[in-house]
Amino acid sequence: MALRRRFVPPVRAVRGGWEITLDEEERNLLIRLMGELGALMTGPEDNELLLRLFPVAYPDDDEKEAEYQRLMREELVTSRLSAIESVTDALDPERTELMNEGETIAFLQSINAIRLVLGTMLDITDDETADDADVGTTPEHQLYDFLSWLLEWTVRSLSPD
Amino acid sequence: MPTTLEPTEVMDPDLDEAAVIDRPWIVLVWNDPVNLMSYVTYVFQKLFGFSKEKATELMLDVHHKGRAVVASCGREEAEMHVFRLHEHSLWATMEQDGPAS
Repeated sequence: MALRRRFVPPVRAVRGGWEITLDEEERNLLIRLMGELGALMTGPEDNELLLRLFPVAYPDDDEKEAEYQRLMREELVTSRLSAIESVTDALDPERTELMNEGETIAFLQSINAIRLVLGTMLDITDDETADDADVGTTPEHQLYDFLSWLLEWTVRSLSPD
Repeated sequence: MPTTLEPTEVMDPDLDEAAVIDRPWIVLVWNDPVNLMSYVTYVFQKLFGFSKEKATELMLDVHHKGRAVVASCGREEAEMHVFRLHEHSLWATMEQDGPAS
C-alpha cells in the first residue's frame, strides 16, 4: 500500500469550533506577519501601504470625509489590532483549543488585510496584474499565493453550505 | 351666539426640501482585484444577511461592472455599513442618492 498523506485543509470547521492544521513553521510565519501588520497600522498614517486598509468613505465630500476619518479611523485601527491579537493567540503552536467563530472571522479579516498590503506592494491594480501575481515567483508572490489559498479555505470553513 | 372653531393650522411642508433631507444614502462597494470573489460573497452574506444567490449576484456586479449598491438607508446606518465593510477591507463608499426623476 502506497503511503500517501491525505490532504487536510489548513482551516476547517469541526465539532465544537474551527481547527487550524498549519504546522509550526507556518504558524510562526503568520504570527510574524500579524506583528508587522500591527506595526504598520500604528506607524505613520500616510504610508501608502495602508491605502487599502483605510479607504475613503465620502469620495465626493471632503468635509464629511474629514469628519468621518476623525471619528472612525481610530476605531478601525482598534478593531484591526484587536483582531490581530486574537489571531496571534489562536496561532500559538502551544495552543490546543479550537477557535470560536469570532476568532475565525478575525483570522479571515487579518489574513485578508495582509493580502491587501501585499497587493499594494506588488502593484496589483486590475485583473491582469492579479493573474500575474498568482504565477509570480518572488517570495512576496509566493506569500500572496499562500495567503490567498489560506483565505479561500477559511471562507469555505465559515460558509454554511 | 354662534361658536366658531379656530381655524386649524395646516402644515404645508416644502416638498422639495423634505425630499432632499429624506433622500436615502447609498452604500457602494467597488471592485478591488485583490479581494477574492468567495470572500466578497461571504462578507455580503454575513453583514447584510443576503442569501448566497443574492450575495453572489452583487459580487458579480462588483466584479463585472466595477461597483454595486449594497444598501440604501439613512446616513447613520450607511456609515455603520461602510465602517463594517472597511473592517473587512472591502472598498466601500457612500453618497446621497440622486433626486428621483
